Amino acid sequence: MPPILQGLFTILVGVTGCVAYFWLSNLLLDRVICPPHGPHAGRNITRANLIRPWLFLFPALVVLGLYLAYPVVGSFVRSLHDRSGTEFIGLGNYADLIASGGFRVAVRNNILWLLVVPAAATAFGLLAAQLTDRLSWGNVAKSLIFMPMAISFVGASLIWRFVYDNSFDIGLINAVRGAFGAERAIDVIQIPFWNNFFIMFIMVWIQTGFAMVILSAALRGIPEETVEAAIMDGASPTQIFFRIKVPQIMGTIVVVWTTITFLVLKVFDIVYTMTGGNFGTHILPSYMMSFMFRDDGRATAVAFVIMILVLPVMIWNIRQARREMR
Amino acid sequence: MHSIAGRKSGLQWAVHLSVVALVLLWLIPTLGLLVSSVRDRDQIAETGWWLAPLPVEMTFRIRAAPDDARASGDGFVIAGNVLDDPAQARWFPDGAGTVTAFGTRGAAPTEHAPGDTAELRTGGTLSVARDGAFTITAPDALTRPVSIFFEARVPPRVTLDNYATVLTSDGMDRAFLNTLTVAVPATVIPILIAAFAAYALAWMDFRGRGVLIAAVVGLLVVPLQLALVPLLNLHNAVGIGQSFLGIWLAHTGFGMPLAIYLLRNYMVGLPRDIIESARVDGATDFQIFTRIILPLSFPALAAFAIFQFLWVWNDLLVAKVFLPSGSDAQVMTVKIADDLIGSRGGDWGILAAAAFVSIAVPLVVFFTLQRYLVRGLLAGSVK
Amino acid sequence: MPTRRLAAGTAALALIATTAPAQELFLEPGADDRFSWHTLEAFADAHDHTGARLSVAGVWTGADARMVESVLAYFAHATGAEVSYSGSDGFEQDIVISARSNSAPNIAVFPQPGLAADMAARGLLTPLADGTEDWVRATYAAGDSWADLGRFVGPDGEAALYGLFYKVDVKSLVWYSTDAFFEMGYDVPDTMEDLLALTQRIVDDGGTPWCIGLGSGAATGWPATDWVEDLLLRIAAPEVYDGWIDNSVPFDDPRVIEAIELYGHFARNDDFVSGGAQAVATTDWRDAPSGLFRFPPDCHMHKQASFIPTFFPDGLEYGLDYDFFYFPAYARHDLGEPVMGAGTMWAITDDAPVAQSLIAFLQTPIAHELWMAQSGFLTPHTGVNLDTFSSDAQRGINEVLLDATVFRFDASDLMPGEIGAGAFWSGMVDFTTGADAADVAAEIQSRWDAMR
Repeated sequence: MPPILQGLFTILVGVTGCVAYFWLSNLLLDRVICPPHGPHAGRNITRANLIRPWLFLFPALVVLGLYLAYPVVGSFVRSLHDRSGTEFIGLGNYADLIASGGFRVAVRNNILWLLVVPAAATAFGLLAAQLTDRLSWGNVAKSLIFMPMAISFVGASLIWRFVYDNSFDIGLINAVRGAFGAERAIDVIQIPFWNNFFIMFIMVWIQTGFAMVILSAALRGIPEETVEAAIMDGASPTQIFFRIKVPQIMGTIVVVWTTITFLVLKVFDIVYTMTGGNFGTHILPSYMMSFMFRDDGRATAVAFVIMILVLPVMIWNIRQARREMR
Repeated sequence: MHSIAGRKSGLQWAVHLSVVALVLLWLIPTLGLLVSSVRDRDQIAETGWWLAPLPVEMTFRIRAAPDDARASGDGFVIAGNVLDDPAQARWFPDGAGTVTAFGTRGAAPTEHAPGDTAELRTGGTLSVARDGAFTITAPDALTRPVSIFFEARVPPRVTLDNYATVLTSDGMDRAFLNTLTVAVPATVIPILIAAFAAYALAWMDFRGRGVLIAAVVGLLVVPLQLALVPLLNLHNAVGIGQSFLGIWLAHTGFGMPLAIYLLRNYMVGLPRDIIESARVDGATDFQIFTRIILPLSFPALAAFAIFQFLWVWNDLLVAKVFLPSGSDAQVMTVKIADDLIGSRGGDWGILAAAAFVSIAVPLVVFFTLQRYLVRGLLAGSVK
Repeated sequence: MPTRRLAAGTAALALIATTAPAQELFLEPGADDRFSWHTLEAFADAHDHTGARLSVAGVWTGADARMVESVLAYFAHATGAEVSYSGSDGFEQDIVISARSNSAPNIAVFPQPGLAADMAARGLLTPLADGTEDWVRATYAAGDSWADLGRFVGPDGEAALYGLFYKVDVKSLVWYSTDAFFEMGYDVPDTMEDLLALTQRIVDDGGTPWCIGLGSGAATGWPATDWVEDLLLRIAAPEVYDGWIDNSVPFDDPRVIEAIELYGHFARNDDFVSGGAQAVATTDWRDAPSGLFRFPPDCHMHKQASFIPTFFPDGLEYGLDYDFFYFPAYARHDLGEPVMGAGTMWAITDDAPVAQSLIAFLQTPIAHELWMAQSGFLTPHTGVNLDTFSSDAQRGINEVLLDATVFRFDASDLMPGEIGAGAFWSGMVDFTTGADAADVAAEIQSRWDAMR
């Protein structure tokens, strides 16, 4: 069966399967197990209401457990074993990693990514949101800045190769340098340390639109009176922006910031297509790929280090969510 | 009063200009890709895409064959036209064109102005006229072909050849179908599962609801990398292995927390009275869900669908691990990253065309459904 | 209305049908009597796999992929099987993942015996049919060494022949543009000393001597490993080279470091390489030789294996436009004229009768001749008609192979996959972009130590 038909078939089976499961299980509950009539009608209704949420949740919980919760544990257990997976070596893989220079570079770069990309994307997004606000053609501008969001990391890397390339006729950066009289093209992807920032900018380019859209909505939500009052008091536009507007949307800024932080931890494609991790540009996800399925012990250890990096943000996020529910 | 208005319009101008600058910065790289994808590969190597509408000065070499020589006076002469050479035919239809310089050595292909007469290293002379006509004179019979280098101004050539090549011989057509095959089920199935769960978490009261919501929020950020090794091993153990079924399941799993989170946030905001009154009228939860909640949640469902579709369509990592690496299962991102960047490394036109084929569908989806995406994003992030 | 629906249905069918295009035969069987067509007929008579599917995976992409497909088309034609080939720059990683997921192709074409040895030890390869080993020893020139290179220890501890070499390359070659050498009056160097002098002379004449490109997607860096291997064979005895492969000579041995630094002499000098030292690491290796053929030339020489003419710009002719010379040895070291080569090894990763038949097909002369007639192909098969070589260049390279006083297989291909197809590559990229040779060598050695 060609995959495309297989795909259509799967949609059909998946959708009807899901609907059938929910419909039948509810039917079963209401008609057979706890019918809301007869001698125990009241008790049955209470019981059905106890069971029903779990019927609704069951498939999602299975999927979440199997594809997200189990791997956290599974990966951790695997990372305590040697390359073949048979011998328990405790924290040996972690000790080896800490001793290796490549790992330290990857951690350093990853921390740089975590600091720079969310900050830059949020800042650009805020700037774009403020500037396009009340502009007659603001929506068009927003749409264009938002567009990279639809482009794959691989596609974006190719796009930026046309900017970074090491020749006057392909690379835009070198073309500009050439116009100012540079003799020899440089390869920005090879400048030690700073090359990381050029690669990060691709991610900033993709994520700015996301930040802008959300922050722009938040800016519109600011009560007019506060701004008007500030104008009456003679505040300058910059003062209004930083003293009045930014504090009021701080909550949204933090949400945007953390969302982009999580995305940064998943990025592997950009480094893989731009440099393959060469020139000191590895980040943990790409560094992990150089071990994966050769030395799974180390690969999973690297993955777990990523998990540790994200843990503080995760805990903060959960606490935030719980506070909102109350 | 006047001065304030003046300052105000000055500020307005500054805003306009900075937005223009920002938009250009964001648009130019993509524009470069689009322009390059319709240029001829030889012209891409000569001038930057920003000069694409201008004619290009390109250097060519042809060889005059000794067989074409005829005796003339006390030596030999070869006459012909450099623009007639079949190797350059696509640049000079009908042999028309203008030679701007010529030379006898590869090291200095533009030494001489058209019309000049140059000395050949082997003895004899070469002259090339502006219209391409050339004359070689030699005192003795020629044994080796004579190389003639010339530079000509060539009009820009806009072509869809790159797209044709990418779609036919490079296998992007197959990769496109594969991407589509991965993306559609991986978008539809998680929505259904997540919608039911989101409803339970939003509108049903039961013990452990708070813990579950917190767990979903926590799982939202579990790095994908953790899942790769254990899950592929699991798939191997149960016999799914690397397959389309495997990648559908994997994407369903990885997209689930965001789906539940987005949909729950939206459903919580629906008016309580509608649901309460439906309950009073004796509707079951299943009926409330299908008849009231689902239709009302359409914007959030659409937003997540767009999100998930873009994510799956653009994914490289999951495809590399959960799909077989053979060309009959390669998706476009893998095709570009593992095959084309390598085999077509210097062939910028081909790379650009391939990239454009891969981003065309997401761009269409994005621009037509942007409204829903924005609404969904806001539902998820701004409270 | 019904007609419209019908039309849509046919369109959908057509869309599905076009996904499996039938490969055409580039030469009608029997058309050219230089080819051993009778071996194809005999093979076709003995093997019928109508309806069977055979999948082959390898590293070849682009032009190479089209050539291997063109040869496999004859197999498909002869047996009726449906053959699909897929190439990937990430082959080294993909094949391990897919073999473990039971989604391996039937046949994998390994550029590195080292990686195949890893997989054989884990039981992911199937030994070749009995008799294949004897056939290799008898039919291939220097058959014993080709057989030994394809013999690995399986999961049961028994050694067996797991891989058949088909398509061999000579790596110790330097390519140049005949026009450019002729114009400038350069002579082909006979010794390494002459080559170093010529390099300097080209700079003095205002030219650029070398084009070097290491870019190769996920495999970026491998061309530099060839440089280092060739240079090591020219400054140290072959035994050192052999010891280096099994790590009895450590990677950070002074002689290895010296070879790395010698490579750096060429590649890390802005005046010696086209685009400057920085361009080396990112220029794609397939794109690098095109600099030889620009006007004015970007460079004059390009060191690369016998398969590189496949990637030269279209329409160039051996002898008229380009030529090659042997990457010379030092006159002052008495180490003979070492030649380094490599080859691709075909092994069965998912056994099936049709896979066994493909291995048998690769033993027929016609399978070799069909690729010889194209480009970038050498073979140790003694039963083929050498007239089928498409160019004198390939015949000439065969002579290099025959004149060798020392022949060694590409070391990085024999090292364990993690080193030879991983740490060595990225280490060479680090070195090319400025890292210290000793540091790079020590880092690679520590990765090797970690594997024990």
